[in-house]
Amino acid sequence: MSESYTSILWSKQKRKYDMVLWAGILLLIISFVAFQMLLHPDITPQTLLIRATALTAIVLLHVVLVIGPLCRIDKRFLPLLYNRRHLGVSMFLIALIHSGLCIMMFHVMGDTNPIVSIFTSNEHYNSISKFPFQILGFFSIIILFLMAATSHDFWLKNLGPRVWKGLHMSVYLAYAMIILHIALGTLQYESHPIYWTFLVLGFVLVAGLHIYAGIKETKKLKGDRNRLQENGFFEAGSIHDIDEKCATTVNFKGENIAIFKYDGKVSAVHNVCKHQMGPLGEGMIIDGCITCPWHGYQYYPENGQSPPPFTEKVKTYEVKVVKDIIWVNPNPNDEGTFVEPAKSK
Amino acid sequence: MESFISILLAIFAIYLLLGVIFAILFLFRGITKVDPATKGSGFFFKLLIFPGLVFFWLFLLSKWIKTNRS
Repeated sequence: MSESYTSILWSKQKRKYDMVLWAGILLLIISFVAFQMLLHPDITPQTLLIRATALTAIVLLHVVLVIGPLCRIDKRFLPLLYNRRHLGVSMFLIALIHSGLCIMMFHVMGDTNPIVSIFTSNEHYNSISKFPFQILGFFSIIILFLMAATSHDFWLKNLGPRVWKGLHMSVYLAYAMIILHIALGTLQYESHPIYWTFLVLGFVLVAGLHIYAGIKETKKLKGDRNRLQENGFFEAGSIHDIDEKCATTVNFKGENIAIFKYDGKVSAVHNVCKHQMGPLGEGMIIDGCITCPWHGYQYYPENGQSPPPFTEKVKTYEVKVVKDIIWVNPNPNDEGTFVEPAKSK
Repeated sequence: MESFISILLAIFAIYLLLGVIFAILFLFRGITKVDPATKGSGFFFKLLIFPGLVFFWLFLLSKWIKTNRS
């Protein structure tokens, strides 16, 4: 948490995640290399490596992009989210190897500076079929670099959550450029329909999951708006719909609230973690604390304060239980304010 | 076109070179003032944030100056 920084926050789960991730990466590279060698026995090692790293990076980018909406659609995907930044940095490193290999193979032989050569070796900027697709890859690797370079918590704190989030949302711009990089580049030379099919399917999957998750959330928000209200309290559902030490989330009057059930009690806090704006309501109560599913930041459910020596605080809300129905007042208390938990039994 | 790109790249290279100098100074002198949570952080942590410091050095320089003033 925020008391001091460590280089990389490791845990048993994160080590397992990284092992599975790198085993998957190696398996993908080896399978692709074997497949290519069968299809093109005369292929050079440089071309093989360029293609293998390109494929691996684009597959990983798709995984990075679908994790968010998948988790919003179904909580069972949450474990994939907990270490997404390692996945993102791994993807960047592989894309960087791809970029380096391409520059070495296509841009270092002449008299021109290799970086200048990316922009000038093909100047058909007003053509679609001959467009210099390399520059799209160049700008997307710059974006991926900025994201990887600022993935540490130090940057979240020092750039501020809004700037940091804005910077990291530019992954969608990078994705669009990479899709065009592939469509205008490799696929101009590879006529087999399987490549186009995979590219289009990948895009449809990413776009479709984002749209579906958005529709699902909008429906839930509309449902929340129509809930019953009484003396400033809004009906938030049955106590029996929440698993022990877990939460339900509601959005009343613009307040995103997580309502936790634990040890015969019910408490409500703001649903947004102070660390990276993670969804606290998707976390659990561990060791008496609400634990953010993203990076394990913790808060006491009664007062929204992090256990000492940590100093993060979230807003709390008045909550009551009447005939097994939870009622919550969306007017927030100041961050860290104690609220007597409602009895759930 | 080539000379235009070369000039832009040269400007960017100078910016990054200044960033490298700033990052080294910042890691030794300024980082704990700007962000006290970095006290006691190890070499690997500094190595991890170094590329970002080189790129965002102007932003952190302004934070460093503001911290010194306050």
